[in-house]
Amino acid sequence: MANGVLVFAEQREGKFRKVALEAVSEGKRLADKIGAELSAAVIGSGVENIGGLLGAYGAAKVYVVDDAALDNYAPDGYAKALTRIVKDTEPTILLMGCTSTGRDLGAKMAARLATGLAADCTALDIKDGKLVATRPMYAGKVMAEVTCPDSMPQIATIRPNVFSVEEPDKTKSAEVIKVAAEMSPDELRTRVREVIKAAGGAVDLTEAQIIVSGGRGMGGAEQFKVLEELAAVLGAAVGASRSAVDAGWRDHQFQVGQTGKTVSPVLYIACGISGAIQHLAGMKTSKVIVAVNKDPEAPIFKVADYGIVGDLFEVVPILSEEAKKLLAEQ
Amino acid sequence: MNIVVLVKQVPDTEAKIEIKPGTADIVTETITYVVNPYDEYAVEEALRIKEKRGEGEVTVVGMGPDKATEALRTCLAMGGDKAVHLKDDALEGSDAYATALALSKALEGLPYDLILCGKQAVDDDNAAVGIELAELLGVPHVAVVTKIEISDDKTSAVCHREVEGASEVVETPLPAVITAQKGLNEPRYASLKGIMTAKRKPIDTKDAAGLGLSPEQAGQQGSKIKVVSLSSPPARAEGKIVPGEPADAAREVIKLLREEAKVI
Amino acid sequence: MLGVGGKIMLVLCIGVSVGLFLKAIVFRWRLLRLGKSEPRFDHVGRRLLNFFLNVLFQKSVFERPLPGLMHALVFWGFLVFLLATINHVGEGLSEGFSIFFGARIGTYYWGLVEIFALLVLLGILALAFRRYVLKPDCLTLPSNESAVIIVLITILMVTYLLGEAFRMAMEPTEAQADQFRFAGAWIAHGLARTGLSESALNVGFLTCWWLHILAILFFLVYIPNSKHMHLLACPFNEFFLSLKPKGELATLDLEDEAAESFGVAKINEFTWKDLLDLYSCIECGRCQDNCPAHLTDKPLSPKEVIVDLKHHLLEIGPRLLQKPGEVSADAQQTEEPVPTLPGNVISNDTLWACTTCRACVEHCPICIEQMPKIVDMRRYLVLMESSFPPEAVTVFKNMETNSNPWGIGWAERGNWAKELGVKKIGDNPDAEILFWVGCSGAFDERNKKVSAALVKIMKAAGINFAILGEEEKCCGDSARRLGNEYLFQMMAQENVETLNKYKVKRIVATCPHGFNTLKNEYPRFGGNYEVVHHTQLIMDLLRQGRIRLKNGSSGGVVYHDSCYLGRYNDIYDEPREALKTAGLAITPLERQYRTSLCCGAGGGRMWLEETIGTRINEMRIKEITDTNVDLIATACPFCLTMMEDGLKELNKAESVRTRDLAEIVAEKLAES
Repeated sequence: MANGVLVFAEQREGKFRKVALEAVSEGKRLADKIGAELSAAVIGSGVENIGGLLGAYGAAKVYVVDDAALDNYAPDGYAKALTRIVKDTEPTILLMGCTSTGRDLGAKMAARLATGLAADCTALDIKDGKLVATRPMYAGKVMAEVTCPDSMPQIATIRPNVFSVEEPDKTKSAEVIKVAAEMSPDELRTRVREVIKAAGGAVDLTEAQIIVSGGRGMGGAEQFKVLEELAAVLGAAVGASRSAVDAGWRDHQFQVGQTGKTVSPVLYIACGISGAIQHLAGMKTSKVIVAVNKDPEAPIFKVADYGIVGDLFEVVPILSEEAKKLLAEQ
Repeated sequence: MNIVVLVKQVPDTEAKIEIKPGTADIVTETITYVVNPYDEYAVEEALRIKEKRGEGEVTVVGMGPDKATEALRTCLAMGGDKAVHLKDDALEGSDAYATALALSKALEGLPYDLILCGKQAVDDDNAAVGIELAELLGVPHVAVVTKIEISDDKTSAVCHREVEGASEVVETPLPAVITAQKGLNEPRYASLKGIMTAKRKPIDTKDAAGLGLSPEQAGQQGSKIKVVSLSSPPARAEGKIVPGEPADAAREVIKLLREEAKVI
Repeated sequence: MLGVGGKIMLVLCIGVSVGLFLKAIVFRWRLLRLGKSEPRFDHVGRRLLNFFLNVLFQKSVFERPLPGLMHALVFWGFLVFLLATINHVGEGLSEGFSIFFGARIGTYYWGLVEIFALLVLLGILALAFRRYVLKPDCLTLPSNESAVIIVLITILMVTYLLGEAFRMAMEPTEAQADQFRFAGAWIAHGLARTGLSESALNVGFLTCWWLHILAILFFLVYIPNSKHMHLLACPFNEFFLSLKPKGELATLDLEDEAAESFGVAKINEFTWKDLLDLYSCIECGRCQDNCPAHLTDKPLSPKEVIVDLKHHLLEIGPRLLQKPGEVSADAQQTEEPVPTLPGNVISNDTLWACTTCRACVEHCPICIEQMPKIVDMRRYLVLMESSFPPEAVTVFKNMETNSNPWGIGWAERGNWAKELGVKKIGDNPDAEILFWVGCSGAFDERNKKVSAALVKIMKAAGINFAILGEEEKCCGDSARRLGNEYLFQMMAQENVETLNKYKVKRIVATCPHGFNTLKNEYPRFGGNYEVVHHTQLIMDLLRQGRIRLKNGSSGGVVYHDSCYLGRYNDIYDEPREALKTAGLAITPLERQYRTSLCCGAGGGRMWLEETIGTRINEMRIKEITDTNVDLIATACPFCLTMMEDGLKELNKAESVRTRDLAEIVAEKLAES
């Protein structure tokens, strides 16, 4: 008998990721719509005590699997644990964040349970008691409405930063249920040997969600400091146009453009970059483009969503300042 | 060493995507089709592994309509040895699960030490088939990989898996499914010599029955996910130069990035 | 004159010399025969004309006036001395032999020889001075061969004059009869005053006589065994010059099932004319002097490419000529395979540095075609080994998928024209001319302005024109010049199909590369159209009065000749006339017209990184900005981009503007 919504609430180093709270919040909204209960699953190592926090976000029950072997996400262990919880709770909907873990776990669970997965959803709704998920296809050029009509649970991973987190209600609490892991070493086929954090906190260019890029307008290697500051605030990578690389101000591995790297971040901030076609070829699929340039005729303004005509050395520090303020509020 | 590479033919990422009115399909007549870019990394890696070891065979497997043969030929031109084309109208409209199931049947007959594929297809962007296939075959998987090292005795591999803000070094026994991320390598350009020799390489065609799939398991019938409808996202607003003094414009932009664009 | 022993010696020496000469010639002839076939026996009249002009009249050598004159003297002297040499041998074998049998014409002839002996001496010493004292850049390769020839020719002339002087000193009455041997007579006069005995004079004479003939016989053997092979090869090279349109590269037959390889990997995969080129090179360095890659310290000198190929051919020759049965099984196993040229004999950096500007071919006085050989080797690298600069992978893939080098969606190719109300040919099938917009004109922001300017001009002239819109594909020039002949042919065939589908007759193109490809290369794929460059169209319109420009002068301008417009298609005057009509005063450049310096973007290099040496476009900008003119006019989207980039790199973008000719004319259109 199917019932309830189950959310896999991803945690990292004992703290829930923001998208996990978004998933729980959305899970609650969906659970309310179908008149069912919201449960959460927390899997990891040293996580016995955090499960209760999810009560404030609407979870009635939180199933916790705590085992040293589960400290880093690995498919076998997490799938085994989650499958156990799914078998115990028989949810009609299974939600998780579309993170590197969620993408992986969601797909594995879908195959294991012979059910459907709607990945990277930007909207969820209930129609006729069934989950209707809206998700992007063709790199977001088309939005698809999908359903999982015949199998359970209907699995969906949600895109981070889209769904809102409910205000936690401290009066509410959840029943925390410990589930034994029962992992045997042979079951855990893949093993994380080591985690290499991106050097000095700097983010790799091709993987970066936000890139701050400098061009000829920077004027020198030293001047890139202002971009590095903005990047640090935003958690972004620093890129460069070909002019800046040719002038020796940045290394070639940071060159964005036809003969450098092609990037597709969520946000691309181009500073002192004219926007010659060679550069555009490397970044025009960025979701949002901000351009800062002295020259109002610069071609970059034709592709930018937001353009600022001005001296980048005046503008960029202000961007850093404002962004810092904004993100501190979060 | 036998390496299987899964390859999908998809619309070029620059193609104009239009929804066929009244359907949950896109207009295909004006689209140029290419090998899924992420699958190219997989093909290239397979070839490099074979070349480094000095032995082995690379089999390219793809599911799709008639024209998907072009994509398979391109992979053979790059250096693949042979191909398997899962081609059947009954397989049309397969979702990730049905695709993984069909592929798992196709792989039953093939010896493999390693299965490579791209982390996702750039048309559906599901990033699921490789992982689901591994589960159906009962082999481990490592997804979104930027580096692979195969042990000399081909019983295990060490991969660099990309996660948020870091790279995990993951060890896996083989056979396994490994999905390729950008940065794994730079795919080679097929030479004319490669293109010409590819013409003579075998492409084995299999249909649903040949794979042992029942009608309920194939195509739309066998899919767990149904696409109900397609819609165009709101048109990208005209870019605007934010007016005012540069300092004020800067403050405004941060606000817009948070509230309007929702990217920070 | 000679005793029996002497005559026998003479015959033996001649025999040995001729024998060695023939051996060398036959060897080189056989190597030539290894080359692929190529038809070059058409238009005999034109070929003979070229032969007369450039060989007999030394026209191409005179491009460098003073050294040219010196060389011409030596060459004509050589021709004049041919008879003298025959006479020399004749009189050695048979006493009293005279080639003219005592006729009066002989006297005139010997006078001519006298004059030329002095002129040759002057010429050779002047050339030696140039080579060893002035040391111009073009003569970079140390040349012992030149030293040998200089010494030989000097010996020949000196022994001739001195020998005649000794002879005349012994027989004064005959000397009077030979009035025209003034130099010999003058020296003889001096000899007579030394009071040497008759026998001493005779020794002097015989010494000179023998030295002279031995020098000639040595020369004879030396010719084929040194760069002086050019004496024999050049006349043929001039005759076999290329009569194809300059802008057309050879078309490979990629359908040939029997072909094992495409492009040139081994020396015997060149054609016989290519190999003849190698024999003909005299290492004058005109090509090198004008090569933009060489001038900016890239490892490419067209001269060195030719010389390296020649040395390789001669070195590897014996092995290539061996028949399979002649090589023992052991030798076959231990011997290394014949090395491929690209990457070995000629480095990859050398091959990829070429911008195909054609300065080398244009300036070679003996019709050597250096640049096509580079493209041939690129073809091998691309088609057979897929070995080329990694930036080109993106470009090739973009052209394949979206028909433009930047990979922008092909469906957007017509967007630039939407607001200008330009019709596509499907909607305007009766258009009198098709505007071939090109990739830059359609996608690059800066060059879209040039397209718009031409639209404005054509509208003002009332021309009924149309574009292909998204059916237009990249012409394929960059792909072909980078060596990707397969991709080029695919694109050419598709374009020709589209153009023929719309029954296009007349095309105007703003990009010289597209213009050149459509005009000179598409005919081979079934595309025969009347193709004009927009500067030609604009001049036509001005001459016909279909457009008029506002009066008044507009200041000064520098015009940069684009390679594919100038050297490739000899279009130099129309752009300049148009600029003058627009009221601009053109400041000449040192390097202009045929000697214009490439902007660096040709040969597919627009898409590649320039990491070796200095920037070609910066060098050109420095030359241009030294004139202190604040406006640069171009007629090519590549040149426009490179000039603007160069100005930015040298921080001159604020003070110097760059405009395409179309933009300049459009701005000056008079209201009608």
